[in-house]
Parts: sequence; structure tokens; C-alpha cells
Amino acid sequence: MNEVTKIDGIGSSVRRTEDKKFLTGKGRYTDDINRPGQVQAYFLRSDVAHAEIKSIDTKAAQSAPGVVGVFTGADIAVDKVGGPICGWVVPCRDGSSTKEPPHPLLAQGKVRFVGDAVAVVVAETMEQAKSAAELIDVDYNELTPVVDFVNADKGAQIHEEVPNNCYFDWELGDEGATNKAIERAAKVVKLSVRNNRLVPNAMEPRSALAEYDSLDESYTLHTTSQNPHLTRLVLAAFMFAIPESKLRVIAPDVGGGFGSKIYVYIEEAVCVWASKKIGRPVKWTADRTQAFLTDCHGRDHVNDVQLALDENNKIIGLRVDTVCNLGAYLSAFSVVVPTILHGTLLSGQYDIPAIYTNVKGMATNTVNVDAYRGAGRPEATYLLERTMETAAKEVGMDPAEFRRINFIPKDAFPYQTQVALQYDIGDYEPHLDKAMEMIDYSNFEKRRAEAAKRGMYRGIGMSSYIEACGLAPSAVVGALGGRVGQWESASVRVNPTGTISVFTGSHSHGQGHATTFAQIVADKLGIPMENVEVIHGDTDKTPFGMGSYGSRSLASGGSAISKAVDKIINKSKKIAAHLLEASEDDIDFKDGKFVVGGTDKEKAFGEIALAAYVPHNYPLETLEPGLEENAFYDPTNFVFPSGTHIAEVEIDPATGVVEVVDWAACDDFGNLVNPMIVEGQVHGGIAQGIGQALLEDAHYDENGQLLTASYMDYCMPRADDLPSFKVGYTNTPCTHNDLGVKGCGEAGAIASPPALINAVIDALSPLGVTDMSMPATPQKVWKAIQESQSVAAE
Amino acid sequence: MYSTKYIKPNSTSEALEAIKSMGEGKFLAGGMTLIPTLKQRLASPDGLVDISGCDLDSISDEVDAIKIGAMTKHASVGESGLVKKAIPALAKLADGIGDRQVRNRGTLGGSVANNDPSACYPSAVLALKAIVHTNTRSIEADEFFTGMFETLLEENEIIEAISFSKPAKANYVKFPNPASRYAMVGVFVAQFNDGVRVAVTGAGEGGVFRHAEMEAALSSNYNADALSALEISSEGLISDLHASPEYRANLIKEMTKRAVV
Amino acid sequence: MEIKDSYELPLPKERVWAALNDEQFLKKSIPWCEKLERRSETELAAEVKLKIGPMSTRFTGNITLSDIDPPNGYTITGSGKGGIAGAASGSARVKLIEDKDTLSTTLSYEVSAQVKGKIAQLGSRLIQSTAKKLSKNFFGSFVKQLEDMDKS
Ligand SMILES: Cc1cc2nc3c(=O)[nH]c(=O)nc-3n(C[C@H](O)[C@H](O)[C@H](O)COP(=O)(O)OP(=O)(O)OC[C@H]3O[C@@H](n4cnc5c(N)ncnc54)[C@H](O)[C@@H]3O)c2cc1C
Repeated sequence: MNEVTKIDGIGSSVRRTEDKKFLTGKGRYTDDINRPGQVQAYFLRSDVAHAEIKSIDTKAAQSAPGVVGVFTGADIAVDKVGGPICGWVVPCRDGSSTKEPPHPLLAQGKVRFVGDAVAVVVAETMEQAKSAAELIDVDYNELTPVVDFVNADKGAQIHEEVPNNCYFDWELGDEGATNKAIERAAKVVKLSVRNNRLVPNAMEPRSALAEYDSLDESYTLHTTSQNPHLTRLVLAAFMFAIPESKLRVIAPDVGGGFGSKIYVYIEEAVCVWASKKIGRPVKWTADRTQAFLTDCHGRDHVNDVQLALDENNKIIGLRVDTVCNLGAYLSAFSVVVPTILHGTLLSGQYDIPAIYTNVKGMATNTVNVDAYRGAGRPEATYLLERTMETAAKEVGMDPAEFRRINFIPKDAFPYQTQVALQYDIGDYEPHLDKAMEMIDYSNFEKRRAEAAKRGMYRGIGMSSYIEACGLAPSAVVGALGGRVGQWESASVRVNPTGTISVFTGSHSHGQGHATTFAQIVADKLGIPMENVEVIHGDTDKTPFGMGSYGSRSLASGGSAISKAVDKIINKSKKIAAHLLEASEDDIDFKDGKFVVGGTDKEKAFGEIALAAYVPHNYPLETLEPGLEENAFYDPTNFVFPSGTHIAEVEIDPATGVVEVVDWAACDDFGNLVNPMIVEGQVHGGIAQGIGQALLEDAHYDENGQLLTASYMDYCMPRADDLPSFKVGYTNTPCTHNDLGVKGCGEAGAIASPPALINAVIDALSPLGVTDMSMPATPQKVWKAIQESQSVAAE
Repeated sequence: MYSTKYIKPNSTSEALEAIKSMGEGKFLAGGMTLIPTLKQRLASPDGLVDISGCDLDSISDEVDAIKIGAMTKHASVGESGLVKKAIPALAKLADGIGDRQVRNRGTLGGSVANNDPSACYPSAVLALKAIVHTNTRSIEADEFFTGMFETLLEENEIIEAISFSKPAKANYVKFPNPASRYAMVGVFVAQFNDGVRVAVTGAGEGGVFRHAEMEAALSSNYNADALSALEISSEGLISDLHASPEYRANLIKEMTKRAVV
Repeated sequence: MEIKDSYELPLPKERVWAALNDEQFLKKSIPWCEKLERRSETELAAEVKLKIGPMSTRFTGNITLSDIDPPNGYTITGSGKGGIAGAASGSARVKLIEDKDTLSTTLSYEVSAQVKGKIAQLGSRLIQSTAKKLSKNFFGSFVKQLEDMDKS
């Protein structure tokens, strides 16, 4: 076997080639880019949650030092610029569609959350813009804010177009069959759970730099986006009504997104608009407070769950009634997350014959809620795995065994769930077994007893999750309300010397595409990885593509690359056949060489490349010169990673502090291209899940003021909050993509919160504690212990 | 509008002169509190007098006390052989402040002058019978802290150094706020020949305070068990998103128990 | 957020009530009050320079008196804008109860406070303590002034 392939190819833990620049502080982010004549934009934001704007006086600001323009919603209205759009809508139970109220780029008539942009000041420097903004006088007529989303239907109406503050009331599954199952059940387990509200906290705050070229009437926008082509599409087609070709969108290095950089925000659009208005490049960069206030938040979602069991503890039905908070305006994926990406996952790893779910999406005077690592699937997994654990305890079964008897059997794949999805492949017992082995599950009670001697409560909890990633196929996505396709594109250009430029429609903002994608190409072509360069994030360079979210990059984007490389190989074979004077059918491609079967006649890949570009000896009559291929890959199904995570905790009853003492994660991601990158994704995902379960909580007060708008009060997980994770894998390769890969980016964040909360409850179960909401902060845990003790004393 | 003058004098007297020439000037020490406040535009002094050049960062042994210059960084206190030997609890406290970056800039004087209700140092000042030396006087710890973010310091009075009495035994235990890692409750316990002093930070609405009942209990028996029967009142304790007064009361007792070893 | 307290004054209710309506008295009681001007029977314009730790911000706004029930009490509400810092408002329901035998008056108050913008976003840990402290300062110095006047 070729040495190079062994080192670089699929399955090797190659170090991330992009890390050198990041670790040495040399990344090139939007805010690092400056253009001659550039001016700075600063947004004046509402500090009230819900109000009518009586008047805005910008006179003093207009004449402040350095100011080149002050604009309000009225200016946007005059130019008839459209607002951000919702990328996916769903039908309502009453036959109507999702209510889509307008979202002007700058507030018109009303403000709807603290942080809503009221005006923009453009000045020579950021300091001048800020100072001028302080001179703007906005007179508000304050209205009652709606903050509690569960009761939002009773609150003041936020949008004229959204009666009862309900954007949609959606359902999925067979309500009749499910209710019947609940009626005839031997036992019904009931539970109410909540997914706390999270701030995405990408390390790089959002930023935009827009430039207008009056000569060819075109714009260039550098922006912090997970999907530059979609940004271009939305800006060109929906906001500015200009041809796409007149707008180039570049998302250079992007410092994390977690879903919050999918949406096309008003600030990017205002910069584009202002760059033409003013005739100079306009830059805006959020500070951390603005990031807290205006980046789309995540989750904020409550469920009432009923799980019906027969006399053998087999699940016969599941009903979930959900209310979720979508905030002041709809954003890109805010509707699909709590519906399609949540409801369709409710079967989990289990064979459930009847499922029904109803979801109400509410408007409130808080910032928009959108996709956040896992997006819908953590919510589904949380409610299901919390319920599974509770059910096991209620029927007196070991939680692992209770799961085991309800797993979809290995021979039942492809498995059609009652909530639309068809799982192509999976095998759940092996990862359950392996995770239990990794954490030494069978000796847990010994560890619990040992901890008790030290006065600590030790608990163990698990979660067997299913994840659906790489949204697909497009036709189904369309039928479900999606407004875009869900394919991915790749263009593979072989350069004359045999080096390769790969252009992907996918986007990396920390995932390591430059490494993983290069490995795929290097492996398939049998060339060194250094010869492969991955280019992404620039609409002028890369083919139209969907970007990165929902763990789709490898399954969809990687598969597109694989397809394009296959086309390269096919064409190369034709060239080789010509050069070697053999029949194309006799040419084998192996280890980077084209060989005439059974002979020692061969041509290296580089020779083929050169021949394609210097076609002196070339079948020009039948074959075009050059070696460059495109592929657009529309997967035939989602991919379905699954796994079991087990958490072990110790709780100090004197303080309520939960320490995560051990963690076993066994995941089935199909084939792994770069196990080290996969492990990194698992670690990051678990860290975020632990953050959600123990630490993070975005808190608005009753007036709609965000009280956790800095790291003084919003608690991010730190390294010393986390144990050393034990990570393992099983593998059932995906059946419908060439690489046999699934997705791994979100699994950790999906699996971990219920495992951890189950462990916390297990630890406290000797005290009679049966429930715990997220985040399980020290104070909350301490209080639960106190209350259980006072109950015991009675 | 937000411009400010920056001056970096070479002595305390020059610093005082400089600040008096300003309408509303501020001493700038490590800047870990002041600079973020300025960046947020929540204060707009017309001048900053950087006192890092005023030779206020020495640590010396004064037989019964350790005297630490106001500009001594947390990291220097944490590393100081003198401090580690005479009052290891003080070095431990300094080592537990914020993160490495903050410890490499933040100063003793800045922390004590600011008297943030959640700061660590004020508890050491109070428990270790410290004396705060300013350009005009020496103030006893018991007099120095007057309320949340308030001290006896007059306008333009500068802390030059603080002398911490050497205890027979001392310890600082902090329960960090999970988000900020400032003290949600921090307890400094110090045993002297004439009794035990217990200072609590992070918990009181009026800032750092001494806990008379625990002092009495520990003075007669320096043992965690001596605290078991005590009921810690939640009266006057801070209530915020992270902890109720009741929870803070519990932590006060628990952290004190842990400090007494 | 609810804050309550009460004081006993060795003065008849009418005296306390008169002081509660005397802007000179109020001005001296409002912590860091730099300006107080009566606009009408029930409205005063105020300017306060609030200092909390390193923060120092000027708030301009109104003081309004409502639920006026002479001489038994009223609600005094202050609301001010602090520019980039945000806005704050506090409302105190004040009640006077006279003890006929001792001719003393109990002044009790109940405060609710609200903050907006940056001070809410960055200072949430301090809101409750600050509101309590400011109410204590206000009523404390109000009572002290009355007592001092009574002595002199
Ligand atoms: C991320 C972060 C985490 C932190 N964590 C903790 C923690 O866990 N525990 C803790 O206790 N603290 C913590 N701090 C606070 C920090 O340790 C400093 O003590 C604090 O910021 C003040 O010190 P400074 O030297 O930075 O003062 P500056 O910010 O420069 O000044 C603060 C105030 O004190 C005045 N001042 C400064 N020096 C003098 C002097 N010699 N005489 C008179 N007045 C003076 C200044 O005028 C100003 O008003 C943290 C800070 C940050 C940014």
C-alpha cells in the first residue's frame, strides 16, 4: 500500500492543517479586513422590550463630529428594502400557514425586543458613531412586554399579523392512535421538561464589511456567515432585488457559529445598503454585549410528555405537547427547529408504534430563537431520554435494560418511524454495551457506596440518542416546508502539475474542512494531502452551495467532493487509456497510478493531469482537454448517527455543587475520515451539553431586560468544569452515501444534557428527588436537597 | 465627549498633584475594573493618573505584619516567598482571583479601593486586622470599609500600602460565582492570640463584613464542629440571579467550616 | 423586587407629611441629587449623579407624586434616563401612621425598582442591593433631617 495514503487518507488522525494560523493568532476574520475609505456603523438599539416609537430625533447626531450619515427605518422604507426572511415554514393544524410578520431592517413604528435596531449611525470611527448615537432622542410609548412564552397567547399582541402571539400551531403523527395507546396502556409515564434558553457565544462576534463599486454597480460583503451563498441569495433576491451576480459574499475565517450565523441579520443588510448610500465601505462589528442581545438564541422550549407502556414495559405510544419561544421575529430556521427537526426525532432509538406531537411557536419580546448546535434534536432527545429514565425507575427496571427491550431491533432496518423518518441503518445495543463497559457500569453501586462514605451523593445517568443530520432529500425538504434545496456542491480542479483545488459550497467555521476534505481527495486519488487545497466561503470562487449547519458538511459536502473526484478518475482513465494505448476497460486506478491490468504499463496521476492541460498527445476528438469536474449531490435520505452517553456525577450536599466525575461516549458516526477531528467535535459537543445542563441560562426579567448579558452572569463551561471524556465508537456505515459517513458535529450536544440530568436525579434519588430542571445550578440542587430533607422530616 | 487625559507620574506626590489638577480624575491601577467601565462608557473621568510608576509594589516583612504595596499585582502576592511563609492564606487568596491575565494586572490597592461586594481581598484586609496606609493617614480595617463599593477613602486619597498582621493560623475559602468566578461567598478566617476573626465577602449587601457569632464560636473552640449548632441569618445578604440570601447563608457556614482546618 | 422598611419619628404626622411635600427636604434626601425643580403640584424635574463603584452616570428625569392621601401617604416615583447606561425607575409607596398617645409617627415604605439597558445587562448582580441601599439612603437621610430639625 502507498505510504502516503496510509498517513493522510481516510481514517487517519491527521493534524488540522488550518490550526497553525489560528493558534498563532493569524486567522483572517471579517473585522481584520479593512478597505480604503472605510467608515464604521453603530446601531442604536432599543433598551425597552416592547414599545411604539413616537418619534426619533436624529438632528444632533447628524451634525456630530465625524458623522457621515444617520438613518432610521423611514429611510429603509423609502428605498423599499426588504427584511430578513424565514427559510422554512410549516402548516398549522387549522389549515393556515405559519404567520410571517415583516421584519424591517431598522424598526418601523415599533420595537419588539431589547436590542432591536432603531437607527444606524455611520461615522469615520466607531467611537464617533457611538457618541453620535447617544445624541439620538427616541420617544417611546411603552407597551406591556410579553416575556413568559408559555402564556404568551394571553399577552399584548406583538405583531398585527400574529394573533395570540402564535406563529404556528403544528402537529405530526397519529393523534387518534396515540391517544388510544395511552388509554389502553398498563402504565402512562408523565413528565414536563424544559430546555433552557441559551446564548450561542461564538468566540468571534458578528461582523460585516460592505463595499459598493459604482463602476460596475456591484457590492462585496465580507461577513460572519455559515452559508455565504444563502446570504447572497437572501440579500440579492429578497432584500435588494438585484441580480446575484452583482453581489459577492465572502465569509473568510469565521470564529464559530453553532447555528447563530446561519441567519442573514439586519446589520449585514444595513451595511450593504449604507455602502451605496454613502459611497464608502461600511464596517460593523458587534461587541460582546450586542452579541448577547442580538445573536439568535437557542432552545427555550417546554414539553408535556406522556409515554404509554404495556404490561411488559414495551412502549406502545408517545404524546408530546410542546410550546416554544421563537422571540420577536422569525429567523432562518426558527420554525423548522422545534417542528421538523424535533417532532420527527421523537421515536429516538425505539420502536414506538404510535406517536403524536403538537408544537406551538410563540412570539415574545425577546430576541429571535433559532438553530443552536443540535437544533431540535437535543430537545427531542432530552424529553425522550428523561422520560425513558423516569419510566425505567417507575417500573423498577434498570434504565439500560428498559432501553434495550424497547430498541429498534438490528434486523428491522430500514426502519420506518411513526414520525416521517426512515432510518436506513443502525444497531443500538453495541453502543449501549460498549458505553456501559467503558464506564464500568456494573460496579457503579460500589462507587456510589464509597462516595456515600465521603458524604457525597454519586449518580449515573445515560442517554441513547438518535440524530438526523444532513437534511435531505430536497424533494422531501420541500414537501415539509423548506424553501431551499438541501444538496451540496463541489468543484474539483486538477491543476496541470497534478495538485488539486477543491471548491466546496460547504463552509468551515471551526470544523476542519480544510483537513477532512483534503483527506478524502488525497485518499481517493492516492496523492499527498499537501497537494490538495480546499477553498470555501467566497461566492465568486465556489459553486452555489448551502453552507454548514446540521452536521451536513461531510455527509453532503464530502459526498459531493467524492462524486466530483469519481468523475475526475473516470476522465483520467480515458486519458490514461489513450496514453497507454489500451482499452479504458483495462485501466485500473490504484494508489495514484493508472495501470493496464496484468501489465507493468502505468501512468502516474500527475502525468495524466499534465496531458489534460498540455494535450499534445490526447484524444481531442472524443475528449475535452482540462481536468475539472463539478458535482451536485442531493442525498437520498438523512444520515442517522446514534450512540449512548453515560455520565457519572458526584454531588456535594452541603453546597449543591455537581461534579461531573466520569463520562463515556460511544457513538456510531459510520466511517470516520479523521478520528481526531471527530473526537474534538464530540468533546466540544459534550462541553456545550454540560454547559446547558449545569451552567447556562439566558434570563430575561419580567420587563424583557436581558439580565445575563455578560460573562459576569452568563456562565460558560470552562475546562475545569469538565472531566476527561472517554470516547468510543461503533460503526454501521451509512447505506446511501459513497463514504459511508454520518455526521458528528452535534451529537455531543444532543446526547449529553439528558445523560447528565439523569445522573443528577439518580444521585439524589435516595433523597426522593425525582425531577431537576436545567441548568442544575448549585443553588437549585441545594434547594432540592433541602426540600427533600424537610419533606422527610415531616 | 469621551476623551480623557492620561498621565503617568513617577511618585505619589506627583500623582496627587496631577489628580488635583483634574476636575474629576481617577487613579488607574491594574485597570481591570476601571478600563472595562470606561469602555462601556459608564464613567467618563476627565483624566486618568496611572500610578504604576510610583514605586508602590514592594512587599516587606515588618515583624508582626507583612506590608504590601498598593500596586502589587495579585500574581506577585501569590508568588511571594515572604507572603507564602508568613500568611499562606493570603497567597492562596491572590492565586484564586480571576484568571492569569487578571492576576498579572489587577492590584491589591485597586481591589481594596474599589471594595466590590464580591471581591476577595477585602475579606483578608478585615480578617487580618490590616492597616490601610494612605498618603495622609493609616486606617484600621474595621473602619475602612463603609458599604458596598464604599470606603473611608476621601476623594483623591491614595492607598500606598496595606499591612496585614501575621496570624497564628488563617485560611481563605471561596465559593466562586459559577459565571464570573468572583466570590459568591468567600470566608477569610484568621486566628490570633486574642481571638479569631471571620470576614465574609460576596454575601453582604453592604460589602465585606465580620461575622461576630462565628468569631465567638471559633475563639472558644477553633474547630469546624464549633459552628455546627450556629444558625446563620440571611438578613442583609445579597439576592441575585445566582444565589438567594438563604443559600448564601448556608455557604457562609459551609465555607467557614472548610476554612477551619 | 420588593423592598420594605419603616422608621419611627417622634413627630406628629402632619409634620412628616409637610416634609414629604417640601422639595428642599426631598432634594437633600435624594442621594446625589444635583437638581430638583418643581414643575407642578405633583411633578418635579430631577438630576441625579449616581455613583456605584467605578460607574458614575448622570440621570435626568422626573419625580412624580401620586395616590396622594394627605396626610397619610403617597407614592413617590422617580424615573430617569442615564443616556448610554440605560434607565432606572423606582417607586416607593409611603405610609404614615400616627400613634396618638406618644405623638410619634411610623413612616413605612415599600419600594419597587426597575432598570433598563446597560445597567440591567451588566449589573444585574447589583440591582437589588443598590435599590435597597438607595431607598435606605433616601429615607434614612429624610428621617435624619427631620430629627435634626426637631432637635434644633
Ligand atoms: C475577569 C475578571 C475576573 C476577576 N475575578 C476576581 C476575583 O475572583 N476576585 C477578586 O477579588 N477580584 C476579581 N477581579 C477584580 C480584579 O482582581 C482587580 O482587583 C480589580 O479589577 C481592581 O484592581 P485594579 O488594579 O485592576 O484596579 P483599577 O481597575 O485600576 O481601579 C479600580 C478602582 O480603584 C481605584 N484605585 C486603584 N488603585 C488605587 C489606589 N492605590 N488608591 C486609591 N484608589 C485606587 C481606581 O481609581 C478605580 O476607581 C476580576 C477582574 C476581572 C476583569
